Amino acid sequence: MSGGFADRARQAIGNRQLHIALDRTTAQLGLRRATGLASLDRADAVRDRARAAKMRVLQTLADSLRQFEARLVDGGAHVHWAETGADANRIIVDIAAKAGVRRVAKSKSMASEETHLNGAFERAGIAVVETDLGEYIVQLAGDRPSHIIMPIVHMTRQQVGRVMEQRLAVPYSDDTQTLARYARARLRDEFLEADMGLTGANFGVVENGTICLVTNEGNGRMVTTLPRVHVVLMGIEKLVPTMGDLDRFVKLLTRSATGQKLTAYTTLLRGPRRSGDACGPEEMHVVLLDNGRSQILAGETAEILGCIRCGACLNACPVYRTVGGHAYGDVYPGPVGAIVTPGIRGLEQFAELPSASSLCGACREVCPVRLDIPRMLLALRQQAVERTPQPAALRVGLKLFARVASRPRIYRLAAAIARRMLRIRARHGWIRRAPGMASAWTRYRDLKAPAAETFESIWRRRAGAARKP
Amino acid sequence: MIVQLFPTCLVNEFHPAAGLSVARVLERLGCTVALPEGLTCCGQPAFNAGFHDEARQVARHTLRVLARTDGPIVIPSGSCADMLIHQYVELFKDDPSASADARAVAARCREFSQFVAGRGGIKAAMKNPARVAYHPSCHLMRGLGVRREPLAIISAIAGVASVSFDEQEECCGFGGLFSIKNAEISASMMDRKLAAIEASGADRLVSCDLGCLLHLEGGLRRRGAAIKVQHLAELVDEALA
Amino acid sequence: MSDARAAILGRVERAVRTGRIPNATTRHDTGASADGGVEERPTDDRVGGDPESERGDATRVALQERFVLEARALGVETYVEPTVTAVCDRLRTLVAGLRVLTWNPELLPYDCGSIVEGALVGSSPRGEQARAEVGVTACHGAIAETGSLALLSGPGCSRTVSLLPPVHVAVVRPDDLFETMGHFFAARAAALAQSSSCTFVTGPSRTADIELSLTIGVHGPGRVAIVFGP
Repeated sequence: MSGGFADRARQAIGNRQLHIALDRTTAQLGLRRATGLASLDRADAVRDRARAAKMRVLQTLADSLRQFEARLVDGGAHVHWAETGADANRIIVDIAAKAGVRRVAKSKSMASEETHLNGAFERAGIAVVETDLGEYIVQLAGDRPSHIIMPIVHMTRQQVGRVMEQRLAVPYSDDTQTLARYARARLRDEFLEADMGLTGANFGVVENGTICLVTNEGNGRMVTTLPRVHVVLMGIEKLVPTMGDLDRFVKLLTRSATGQKLTAYTTLLRGPRRSGDACGPEEMHVVLLDNGRSQILAGETAEILGCIRCGACLNACPVYRTVGGHAYGDVYPGPVGAIVTPGIRGLEQFAELPSASSLCGACREVCPVRLDIPRMLLALRQQAVERTPQPAALRVGLKLFARVASRPRIYRLAAAIARRMLRIRARHGWIRRAPGMASAWTRYRDLKAPAAETFESIWRRRAGAARKP
Repeated sequence: MIVQLFPTCLVNEFHPAAGLSVARVLERLGCTVALPEGLTCCGQPAFNAGFHDEARQVARHTLRVLARTDGPIVIPSGSCADMLIHQYVELFKDDPSASADARAVAARCREFSQFVAGRGGIKAAMKNPARVAYHPSCHLMRGLGVRREPLAIISAIAGVASVSFDEQEECCGFGGLFSIKNAEISASMMDRKLAAIEASGADRLVSCDLGCLLHLEGGLRRRGAAIKVQHLAELVDEALA
Repeated sequence: MSDARAAILGRVERAVRTGRIPNATTRHDTGASADGGVEERPTDDRVGGDPESERGDATRVALQERFVLEARALGVETYVEPTVTAVCDRLRTLVAGLRVLTWNPELLPYDCGSIVEGALVGSSPRGEQARAEVGVTACHGAIAETGSLALLSGPGCSRTVSLLPPVHVAVVRPDDLFETMGHFFAARAAALAQSSSCTFVTGPSRTADIELSLTIGVHGPGRVAIVFGP
């Protein structure tokens, strides 16, 4: 292994505490998902219908977006279109400036991490606080989230306690209830004082312009109820066709993510407050973000835009479990990240990610919308070969392999030579140190010596002997 | 009936004994085993590495060889079987005539345990009792949907106890070239798998994929563990002897 | 910016011509149309729209039993009171000695409104609402499948009531019961369309962000009580 991912992975593998945390988290969440799905009537049919609905939306995305926009406007929301992350940040900071916003309270939005929105707010002199507990702690610690659903799986309660002690000037505690109470007390003021609430959107319903937020803590409700401005930042792919679909998708999301039948709060927003409402934002803005999604839509990995961000693939992935989320180097970790990140940031910078998989297929098995992640990883590997530098040994080796493996006589000869070269190094049928590329194998396990005679040779020889009179 | 045996390059080069066991088991099932002339490799290493043109080159050759034969094609490897059954059509999706050939070949292919189960299974008995841990390889289990057949075959052998172990269905970490390109991650996954197998009290490890077996057996040897490693066909063959 | 809009829509339209978007048919749906799309089949997974069984197939009693089961599993205190008097008594007990924030009293069923007459309401100053100790609401729907309350926002039913105080008490009529969220959507489409928001409350607020260890009561109410009347 070499390169950014390789170094980060190596570091992660050497981190014993991370290892314990990842084992615990992926096992627990995997179990909860299984229980959650088991309690869903006709789960297979629901997953199939959900997949079909998502693929339909992608096939008709332009019209779906137009309809969604029209319904949002009917409900009184303003709709903005952002081609890039920088555009989204500019639009949102402009909205804030026009509305005289000094403080922003954010509920979870991965899209905002993608665009580095917090930095844009800060440069504009606008205070911004994350209010999802995990994201809040990440912000206090100056860290980055490492899981789509559970941002601080990589931190122990002791680490959280120390961060809060240092940053909030509270007495140290490693009791999780106490720590949550600290956050509640501090964030309550933020909710009440914030001028703007910023959220993502778990789903946008095309038929009526509903924005759906799926949360457990209550911060999503706070930031969409109390501040006078609400901004939603959502990827253009987060649409579902109808309210009937929404029911299906919410069920699948919560069960796949945490095993819950529903999270504590499923919030459906239809625009800013109406006359007669005593609370709710006066202004609501929806920023539709492209940032590479239309490009993904044009290629072999278009299907990944059907992802509902449940995190089930992370919990099922033996590679994620081994290296954790930070190793993936960007906002989205795990199997989905290995496809989305090259898509939105460029394959050139992240070519290692699609290769960091044994293609075991556990992700596809647990994905609520049955995304064919292994197929997409293979497609990206092909693109990487076409567009990024490959180790010379690999490129030469595989080109040679292709030439030789389509010519049986040469193949047999070449294989015989390779077998001989390896057998020389064997003791009792095993090689402890293999040469060249294969040395990575023998770093961790013995290499069986190739056979003196191939199966084919033995077979033909016996068949020949059997034919002799 | 005549069946074509696709030995796979790993069996051919590293462990012919498994191929011979496959042939003996098939003969016991009443099949006449033929070996197509000129087989080399299914092309999966190139395909998985993203070298799809190179993979196509090898795949075209393999299709030509197989198209000259008749009857079921039995493959003692879940990953090679998945390659031939699912990935060839994907590789040739832009070439109508090659994809027709690919579909025709795919329809004839059966992984070894799939084929044996389809023929009604096989009765056998071990002379000495064995405690067998079965490792379900990923392409076999998830790619081909073959989950019960190997376990059924193992259960049908008198004297063999099938022993389960923690996280039995998790990938062993082989993944072809993954084991070299991402050697550290591969080794971590291997360690988890081997620890679970050792804790299970099994004295044998059996799988349907030689890639997984070479990887796991290499790891067991490095650890100095005494667990015997066999392809499923070798286990059955031993019990038939 | 309409330039951005045109650019994005243009790219999206061109993208679907080359993008690998898998066929949308499902194994389970015989109503698949020729282009691979899937027809909505309400009876397949009980998404509403059927006037005869607007609430779902189950009877009112069965729905209530299911609701109570689900709610209790979430740690929601659930009371089933046989008479109007009992409902009022229960509410009185639950709010005794606490500073109350309420939906407009006229909107509470079983004449419970009198119990919270004069309490803080959604139009009271925000600072005072934030100091309330219990929020009292009715509901617009009670979803049996998950033990959830559907709360629409509107005149007299402010979102803050079920959000700011640490305790939330809801007075619910069996008439409010629906089998699933989907049934509620279909039956209450008009009310939904008129409302700026609808929140489904499924138990108390919670988090497991720290070491997957569960804490109940984060920003929303940590204690939820539901009182069913006759």
